[in-house]
Amino acid sequence: MTDPEPVMHNSASETPTARPGRRSFLIGAGTGAAATALAATAANAAIHPTRITTPDSPSAPAVPFHGTNQAGVYRPATQQRQACFAAFRVLAADQAELKTLLQVLTSQGARLAKGVQASEPVPAEDLPAIAGGPPSNSGVLGEDVPPGSFTMTVGLGASLFDNLAYGLAGKKPKGLTGMRVFPNDTPDPTWTGGDLLLQLCADSADMIHYALREITKATRGLLALSWKINGFHSAPRPAGNPRNLFGYKDGIVNPRQDDHLVWITPESGQPDWAVGGTFIVVRLIRMLVEFWDRVGLGEQDGMIGRHRASGAPLGAVHETDTPDYANDPEGQNIPLDAHIRLANPRTKSTDASRLLRRGYNYDLGVDLNGNLQAGLIFTSFQRNIQSQFEATQLRLVDEPMTDYIEPFGGGYFIGLPGVQAADGFLGEGLFN
Amino acid sequence: MTDSLPAPAPNMAAAVTAYRSYVAGKLATLAGQVLSVKASVGNNDLDAARSQWLEAQLTWQRVGAAYGSFGDHGVAINGLPAGLPKGAADPGFTGLHRLEYGLFHGQGPGELAPVAARLHADVAELLGRLPTLELAGSDMPLRCHEILEDSLRDNLSGNNDQGSGMALALTAADLDGTRVVLALLGTLIDNLAHGYTTRVSASLDKLGTALERTKTGREWPAWKALPLAARQPVTASLGAALESLAYVPALFSTDD
Repeated sequence: MTDPEPVMHNSASETPTARPGRRSFLIGAGTGAAATALAATAANAAIHPTRITTPDSPSAPAVPFHGTNQAGVYRPATQQRQACFAAFRVLAADQAELKTLLQVLTSQGARLAKGVQASEPVPAEDLPAIAGGPPSNSGVLGEDVPPGSFTMTVGLGASLFDNLAYGLAGKKPKGLTGMRVFPNDTPDPTWTGGDLLLQLCADSADMIHYALREITKATRGLLALSWKINGFHSAPRPAGNPRNLFGYKDGIVNPRQDDHLVWITPESGQPDWAVGGTFIVVRLIRMLVEFWDRVGLGEQDGMIGRHRASGAPLGAVHETDTPDYANDPEGQNIPLDAHIRLANPRTKSTDASRLLRRGYNYDLGVDLNGNLQAGLIFTSFQRNIQSQFEATQLRLVDEPMTDYIEPFGGGYFIGLPGVQAADGFLGEGLFN
Repeated sequence: MTDSLPAPAPNMAAAVTAYRSYVAGKLATLAGQVLSVKASVGNNDLDAARSQWLEAQLTWQRVGAAYGSFGDHGVAINGLPAGLPKGAADPGFTGLHRLEYGLFHGQGPGELAPVAARLHADVAELLGRLPTLELAGSDMPLRCHEILEDSLRDNLSGNNDQGSGMALALTAADLDGTRVVLALLGTLIDNLAHGYTTRVSASLDKLGTALERTKTGREWPAWKALPLAARQPVTASLGAALESLAYVPALFSTDD
């Protein structure tokens, strides 16, 4: 293959040949001819979109893949803006192939997190050593792949442990079941469960697409994609925690790592291999946004328990203010059935049921009747599904907001412990 | 049903010659099968015509006519209604899938006898022209890869299904065709990358196993009627086979 002609990245050399961009008109603004040209440009702008979009922000640093725990939970500290949740059927024939699958996933996750330079050699296990074959990189991010705060978080479902081909029944974590159906759920089997979950997060949508494409290519034949949903974590509007699609700030109260509510420890009563892991709950919750938008603000605030504009608990000023339920026993300020009050009553007996939420908004398309298919990919991390997620969810049964939401999919997964050794791999402890 | 595989060719010219003779054999078989369909349609025995159509369609799949190998002849024999102004009702829609459409949409001898007659003539014409038809050696490795790409793109997508639901049967026949081309190229491939034929064959074997496992008794189920969990082993093993087949053209590439 011959080398391509060198490409000049000098703006001065590009300007004469490129069609005039907006800037060349703006420089001359003020003279009659230029002003006319500017007006013409403005008129054309509606027809011809601007050719150059805003450049991506300077690339975020790499989030370390290796550690005691997996990334994508508490690491990085700031939740990335884009995500994909993909559930797979595992088609590995036996335990040895399952091990290979987890090794390939580890290698992909570590490589993508670090960023990939085109000049780096491609890992030998990925491609046959045949020159001139399909390129190792889809090119979606150009030749060099920036880290983009990418994290890959892997979870395994109960069905994987139940598959006799893998001989892992004895390693199944306690409390890992299929997702419980709650009274207000309308589960759709095509959006539910999975042997293996990938949570991919990054700061750009193209990185998410790129990563999923790389990973599925590298695992072809071992994994079959069953369902996937992409989500976005909005920018703060105008400040503080981002808003969900009901317009309310979400994720304001989350346990800190030193609250010890997320990671499985030797005292958690789980198999040794799971120490350092966490249970992942994904709930796909459609939000009936058209209906919601036909409800008065006071009623909306009452259902949530917060002021929409500030995010503060009703009667308070700042979003981080702590609601004072002790002095509001009748719910005159924050209704007793407000979402935030049921979810976290802030009592001693409910303190240990708190969980780490790390959700994403989604916007999928159109339903049968022309309504938007949009909502929340609720994601929570906890050391015990029953005493944390399920206890919380049971308090929320029949809350007023249920009229406006439809949980329809998701699943329970055991998030694997982190990989610490350079030659280690995700789920290594399962094979000891 | 599946023929024994041809011997590996010592060079590409020999591979093309052997492939041409393989195609000639298949087209002769196809011509006979189309005559059977024609007779059954004429006698209004449409049940027989439906199973005879499938045998004919599978013979065509085994030819391995990926990416329009036979140009207009291929379109006349195996074209689809997509892209035609009147779709399935378009007079330009002819051949095996036109028969399938009629046989699975309640059409009878009046509509289908001319279709079968025309198809027989088109197969005979291709067979007659085959000795002088240019078959490029450079197409052989591409064919080895792309027959099964067509299975994924055209069969399992449902794009070419005109009512029979027989995507699995067609894919199994595509696999047969792929094995024939791979066998012809086996020595040449191994001269370029030792052991690669075995690697590809192993992935084809897995696909064959996954396909067979979808059968209930000797019957192929309708592809779209299978639940996702039953389709996944087929699509996953097909995907894995394609990832390995994708390197066959590269082996023969003179691009670098």
